[in-house]
Amino acid sequence: MMVIMRNLSITILSLVLTTIVIGNAYYQKKQFFPSVIYITKSNPSMAILYIQAFILVILMGKLMRKVFFGELRPVELEHLMERSWYAVTETCLAFTVFRDDFSPKFVALFTLLLFLKSFHWLAEERVDFMERSPVISMLFHIRIISLLVVLGALDLNFVSHAYQSTLTKGASVQLVFGFEYAILLTIILNIVIKYTLHSTDLHRELPWEHKAVFLLYTELIMGFIKVVLYVLFVFIMIRIYTLPLFAFRPMYYTVRAFKKAFNDVIMSRRAIRNMNTLYPDATPEELAAADNVCIICREEMHAGVASKKLPCNHIFHTSCLRSWFQRQQTCPTCRLNILRTPVNTQQNPLPQQRVRDQQHHQQQPNFPWTRDATNQQNLNNAQNATTNNGASIPGPSTTLPPNVTLPENFQFFCPPFPHIPFNLAPPMPPFENLSDEELRRLESQTREGLEARVRCLQNIQTLLDVSVVMLQQYCAAAAVGQQQNSGSSDIPSTKENVPIPKENVPSPSTSNSSPHENSTNLGNHSCIKEDKNTDPNSSTNFTSAQQLSESGKSSTPLNDEMQNLTREQELARQRRLEMFDNVKHPSS
Amino acid sequence: MAGSALRRLMAEYKQLTINPPEGIIAGPVNEENFFEWEALITGPEGTCFEGGIFPTKLVFPPDYPLSPPKMQFMCEMFHPNIYADGRVCISILHAPGDDPMGYESSAERWSPVQSVEKILLSVVSMLAEPNDESGANVDAAKMWRENREEFNKIAERIVRKTLGIPAVTQV
Repeated sequence: MMVIMRNLSITILSLVLTTIVIGNAYYQKKQFFPSVIYITKSNPSMAILYIQAFILVILMGKLMRKVFFGELRPVELEHLMERSWYAVTETCLAFTVFRDDFSPKFVALFTLLLFLKSFHWLAEERVDFMERSPVISMLFHIRIISLLVVLGALDLNFVSHAYQSTLTKGASVQLVFGFEYAILLTIILNIVIKYTLHSTDLHRELPWEHKAVFLLYTELIMGFIKVVLYVLFVFIMIRIYTLPLFAFRPMYYTVRAFKKAFNDVIMSRRAIRNMNTLYPDATPEELAAADNVCIICREEMHAGVASKKLPCNHIFHTSCLRSWFQRQQTCPTCRLNILRTPVNTQQNPLPQQRVRDQQHHQQQPNFPWTRDATNQQNLNNAQNATTNNGASIPGPSTTLPPNVTLPENFQFFCPPFPHIPFNLAPPMPPFENLSDEELRRLESQTREGLEARVRCLQNIQTLLDVSVVMLQQYCAAAAVGQQQNSGSSDIPSTKENVPIPKENVPSPSTSNSSPHENSTNLGNHSCIKEDKNTDPNSSTNFTSAQQLSESGKSSTPLNDEMQNLTREQELARQRRLEMFDNVKHPSS
Repeated sequence: MAGSALRRLMAEYKQLTINPPEGIIAGPVNEENFFEWEALITGPEGTCFEGGIFPTKLVFPPDYPLSPPKMQFMCEMFHPNIYADGRVCISILHAPGDDPMGYESSAERWSPVQSVEKILLSVVSMLAEPNDESGANVDAAKMWRENREEFNKIAERIVRKTLGIPAVTQV
């Protein structure tokens, strides 16, 4: 409000002063020409008239702005002010070069240039805003098109005028104007291209994949033209006048923008090449199987829009991925560095699976077996008695009989438990014992290679299944041992307790029967070993329970009791044996 | 079809409106410009900021979600991870390669997986548990470490101040 009042008062004051000056001259000289001469001879009168002209220019600018832009957004105003200050400073620097032909006309021309420049900036900003605004009215289009036509015509006119003037009168300050308007003309061209692209995009039903690429190349070509213009200008100025300091700041920014555009194009090309050669298109089945929202644009992926699958099994829109890869060569979801990762060896999803599970549960992989692998991965993590959130597998605590309360210092923690008490061979790390040839086969792209990889994964899965079974045995044993320990003879609870694993174990295994069909082929596998000598296992199993109870409560030794199995415990053992049979032959 | 940044912001706005997280209100300042948001954050319970309602501003870049938005508290704040002018300094708001404090691994940086909701939830947890190793406000970090009582007093004053201004609670 204060600003408006101030501006208004300045305008009125200037108007009053001008009227006084003109009125005074006319009153004294009575005729037109003598009064004009009188005013031009008097410096104070001229100063007042110049100020009046300046104010008229500003008012004109405001009117034009109202016509072509309506209200300016605060950001636009801020940018305009910032750029105006730089432009004014540079214009002052330019005056020093051309101080010899410094005249009111010269100042007027520079003011006009500045005036037109600010409209170019605003137009540029408005067109960029098109992409961000949800509503683009008809008025907007009319305004932008008419503004572009007017500015383009003016620029062209000034360039040709400067050209003619330089040809006929030799090099003068017109050189600077010609060059400045040529730069403005490239800006207009750039805006026109952007505007066309944005308007086309607005009228399309589907997202336009190639728009970003077009914009990128427009930026590159325009940057190139500008750089050439600046270099030419500086060269000519040095030849004729002196070093044009005032052109250095815009030149620096232009070169920087060009370099950035160039880098962007290179990165984009690399990303496109990588995507086209290294990563497969996501098939409709994969899209259907996964949670099919592209994490970058949060829109659904369907067969109509191209999508890509990364080595870590995350799927994205091709266009989204391309613009992301321009910045960074990592998977947006799990941050797997896609350039450093050889594609073929990354078929094993488990390491990424774990990372992803910690970060985002919504992105499910597409392979039918990875879902189970997730749960089993969790189970593996649960070895240290952490809580288990896998839905299909009961956590350790759920298998405890409800009325057996644990002593306070009881710990469900027995680090070497999974392998040592059960006398099992430790799970074979599938990649260490492989010969070079086998590894090569794993990495190859052929069907054979794929089969080898799948088999490898099945090995892992079998191992995980075994650990599920063992953990449940462990829980059951712990419960029984605990009961023994506390002297409670609550038999029904034991009965209740043991079948729980039996019900639950087949769920992870039956849900994907194919690995288990194959698992019988894996003769050297620890899982089979375990099945072959179940009896010793179960006896060591109770030893482990005893160890556990000793470590947990360190109460009376139970060795004698443990050797005479009660009838209930024998029953529990039988159930476990059945359970093993279920695991071994899920179909039966 | 509008720009992808706009569509994503509209989708997030819709999601936040349908299913708002507890203690957080967020949305564009006006619906003609989706690139400037306002959010109200309630101080997490059981912390020194409990009960406060803090107005914040989020400014999104044109290439969102490829680049992170900027977030700033619009009220007075005294917190180890908030600059004196209200800008928030948390790792997920930093693009990889831009590390003002030089301690963050790229794994906790911005990626398109993040969203407005996740940012705001991170800020809530930042209010609850300041990270005094990255001192955006060194005085606050020092006080948090050495003189918790004084820190709590200042926090309480700020909470009262945010509640005392009717304009803040209206939005």
